[in-house]
Amino acid sequence: MSWAQAILLARGLSRGWGGICSTALTGAPFSQVPPQAPRGLHCSTAAHNPDSSLVPRPPEPPRGLVKALAPHEELFRQAPDRVRDKASFVQAVQNFTQYNVHKRGHVDFIYLALRKMREYGVERDLAVYNLLLDIFPKEVFQPRNIFHSIFLHYPRQQECGIAVLEQMENHGVMPNKETEFLLIQIFGRKSYPMRKFVRMKLWFTRFKNIDPFPVPRDLPQDPVDLASLALRHMEPDLSARVTVYQMPLSKDSTDGTDPTEPHIIGIQSPDQQAALAHHDPARPIFIEGPFSLWLRDKCVYYHILRADLLPPEEREVEEIPEEWNLYYPMQLDLAYGRSSWDDYEFNIDEAEEGPVFAICMAGAHDQATLAKWIQGLQETNPALARIPVVFRLSGSSGELLASSSGLEEPPLTPPEGQEEEENNQQRQQQSQS
Amino acid sequence: MSGCGLFLRSAAAARLCRALVAFTASRRPLRTSSPSQAFAKELFLGKIEKKEVFPFPEVSQEELNEINQFVGPVEKFFTEEVDSQKIDREGKIPNETLEKLKSLGLFGMQVPEEYGGLGLSNTMYARLGEIISLDGSIAVMLAAHQAIGLKGIILAGSEEQKARYLPTLASGERMAAFCLTEPASGSDAASIRTRATLSEDKKHYLLNGSKVWITNGGLASVFTVFAKTEVVDSNGSVKDKVTAFIVERDFGGVTSGKPEDKLGIRGSNTCEVHFENTRVPVGNVLGEVGGGFKVAMRILNSGRFSMGSAVAGMLKKLIEMTAEYACTRKQFNRNLSEFGLIQEKFALMAQKAYVMESMAYLTAGMLDQPGFPDCSIEAAMVKVFSSEAAWQCVSEALQILGGSGYMRDYPYERILRDSRILLIFEGTNEILRMYIALTGLQHAGRILTARVKELKQGNVTTIMETVGQRLRDSLGRTVDLGLTGKLGAVHPSMADSATKLEQSVHVFRRAVESLLLRFGKTIVEEQLVLKRVANILINLYGMTAVLSRASRSIRVGLQNHDHEVLLANLFCTEAYYQNLFTLSQLDKYSPENLDELVKKVSQQVLEKRAYVCAHPLDRTS
Repeated sequence: MSWAQAILLARGLSRGWGGICSTALTGAPFSQVPPQAPRGLHCSTAAHNPDSSLVPRPPEPPRGLVKALAPHEELFRQAPDRVRDKASFVQAVQNFTQYNVHKRGHVDFIYLALRKMREYGVERDLAVYNLLLDIFPKEVFQPRNIFHSIFLHYPRQQECGIAVLEQMENHGVMPNKETEFLLIQIFGRKSYPMRKFVRMKLWFTRFKNIDPFPVPRDLPQDPVDLASLALRHMEPDLSARVTVYQMPLSKDSTDGTDPTEPHIIGIQSPDQQAALAHHDPARPIFIEGPFSLWLRDKCVYYHILRADLLPPEEREVEEIPEEWNLYYPMQLDLAYGRSSWDDYEFNIDEAEEGPVFAICMAGAHDQATLAKWIQGLQETNPALARIPVVFRLSGSSGELLASSSGLEEPPLTPPEGQEEEENNQQRQQQSQS
Repeated sequence: MSGCGLFLRSAAAARLCRALVAFTASRRPLRTSSPSQAFAKELFLGKIEKKEVFPFPEVSQEELNEINQFVGPVEKFFTEEVDSQKIDREGKIPNETLEKLKSLGLFGMQVPEEYGGLGLSNTMYARLGEIISLDGSIAVMLAAHQAIGLKGIILAGSEEQKARYLPTLASGERMAAFCLTEPASGSDAASIRTRATLSEDKKHYLLNGSKVWITNGGLASVFTVFAKTEVVDSNGSVKDKVTAFIVERDFGGVTSGKPEDKLGIRGSNTCEVHFENTRVPVGNVLGEVGGGFKVAMRILNSGRFSMGSAVAGMLKKLIEMTAEYACTRKQFNRNLSEFGLIQEKFALMAQKAYVMESMAYLTAGMLDQPGFPDCSIEAAMVKVFSSEAAWQCVSEALQILGGSGYMRDYPYERILRDSRILLIFEGTNEILRMYIALTGLQHAGRILTARVKELKQGNVTTIMETVGQRLRDSLGRTVDLGLTGKLGAVHPSMADSATKLEQSVHVFRRAVESLLLRFGKTIVEEQLVLKRVANILINLYGMTAVLSRASRSIRVGLQNHDHEVLLANLFCTEAYYQNLFTLSQLDKYSPENLDELVKKVSQQVLEKRAYVCAHPLDRTS
């Protein structure tokens, strides 16, 4: 290995390592990489801002030439009238490998393909990821001696491999044996993609079921189904019944959210029904909302029917009737209660809230729609007819709040590929500058 | 023994006396607590009321002869004429069998003689129960008729009501049923929906509502019905209270549903009974208006003790049948009876039968003493012990029989099905355990309250006394409650067992005390603790019963009394160690106490309403 090559390698290594560091520790301040790095032999332009993943980075964004096509873009443009599905995606990848026997520019192609996956709806398909990894030439990038394995060998390719794995991670795709086999074949056992793979293997399994209240991966598209799913998700009582008070007027006209006849779906448990029946009609109850609820990438809004907490002096003490249990005494006639040793109640300062009587989700958040809900509720809760209902609707639907916090921003519906790339590029440039 | 005088009289005089007693009883105000201190309650205070349980109750020779005259034909009838298999298959007791039962007088066993019944004492009733239980369906039908169905009239009926109903009921001309359970109300009297409203002329009640799972519901023509009525309180407010009524089918508006298809006791008739504007005359109110709750409690509490002897009778028969099989069936050139694991099962069955028999007759003897002792705890213990032993023993018997136990050609599977109901009816065992523990704890609590209060307030003398007592206990002071030694109540051959009982009682008292100190009145919510208290008490009562009975057998010189000593020692030792374990579970922070874990597991399961764990074959990758 020549001296010059060694220097270049070392530089590449430092940059590549920095790139990996910054992806691992997002926003790590000690990233050594200059913002705009010249392209080296094996060197990557490691310009990672904290919130961008490895993928959307275009291989070499020359300033001023924003509109220039990424290399191999034409492979995905062959048939504009063709449906964008797995088959056509696989076709594109196969075309690349067929016509490009020497696999020139395969890293660029893989990055491009990763960006295109969403459009083709294959971003959760393990086989496609394996297909992408399969593009890498085998055994070329494997370290051949100890120095190779100590220093980052072929960093650009390794990074690309990591990018594939990261995109899998982001979409919750668990790599399998074939992935492992491919990675070993391409990069060898001690390589960075392989390490990433091992970590994924370890942590994915442990985190997969960490959510005690899992939401199905594919949410129903129908707003009625979605609302009943969301209501079930919120209601802890399994006896609660979901009632559809109003179906959307016409499904075929305007995608189910007709403003005149929006859907109204409510949930109420038997306990809530009983509580409502015992509610003092002199005290008003309130409809509050809308509150937002996130189910994966969808945000739905709900309203609650609740009352204020009774002041302590008006609360009824539940007393045990004298002749209740035919078989054994329900209370002992003893003067003292539990000793403090056996009192396991922690002294927690609890803010008590008033009872919630029902929850509903409606296509519109106006008073007229919610009044229909109350009408529907009256069928099963006759007591509701006597109780005054006060609407306490907040004007904002909560959307503003969500976007300003920026944490739970719903992914935008995928725009045209070109535009998305533009956005990405622009964003990246902004963050770089 | 104070009751001896009663037995020494001639049978006729005794019966007259009982009739008189029953007569006076009917006019006494209803009462749940008793004048005499019952044995079981005193156990909670660490005392063994020896005069209640030693010596084992006896019956006079005349009475014995008389009952044997009864037993003979009844037994002959049950072994030769009753076709249990047919009754089970057809789900009906044939008319000729019913007629024969009537002619034997079995429909009025406890009805006083002046009303045409047999006027049997509790002990005699238990004796006949042993034979009647050879067919589960008949036993249940008869029990529903007289142990609960007409019991209300005997216990709380007026003279007029007795004269009107008891003769026909005792002869079997009419059958009685007990209507308490409703779709929404099992043990919960507050949720009884059946309603009785007084008519305009105040001469009738209009009864409306439906009752479910009424044994004899389709056959009976006299019903004891519990319904809500409006009662004006002493302070003028109107309240809904339960009232008991005697309702005849002829009053009109009484319909019964189709017989239920049951797991066991298929020959007995169980169905829904509906009352629709049934006109019940005011004179048919049983007891006082608004006093139905207490009537129901008294009826339920009075009928339980007889299950002990009934199950014992069934088990004795079962032991005979299985022993016959085990001694003739050969495997590997040896009889089944030569295998240790089979022998163990026979020991278990003999032991359980012996214990429950002793408990049942001890309780019956206590009940027959003058002064109407309240033995409801004892009766509940007999019921819990015997029903659980029945299920366990029948299951073991099936195990001995292997495949043939499972076949419908043999009677064993029917016995198994029949015996399952024992744990459920007359108050489920869970509920009775609560009753046993809570009634006893209430009694102990009343006595101990003063002391516990002082302890809680930090009274130095009381604390010193308690600490001193604990110290003496821990230094291994021997407990002597006077069962052993010279002139002891228990025969010396069981001295060890008697000491074990004394020790158990002593430790039990301390456990009760500390439980009351720890939980106070909130102990009602600690069901797992209460269950253990009840289990210990049942064991203690069983130990007392077998020691008392075996001692008597030795002293009187009954046949095979050495076998009784064996069984008594076996049970006492087993129960002693069981109690020690249970007592250690009652300790706070003891490693044996798994309550917290149990509660957590059940809570999570019930939250999901399903089995929580993932399938063992599931993968995450």
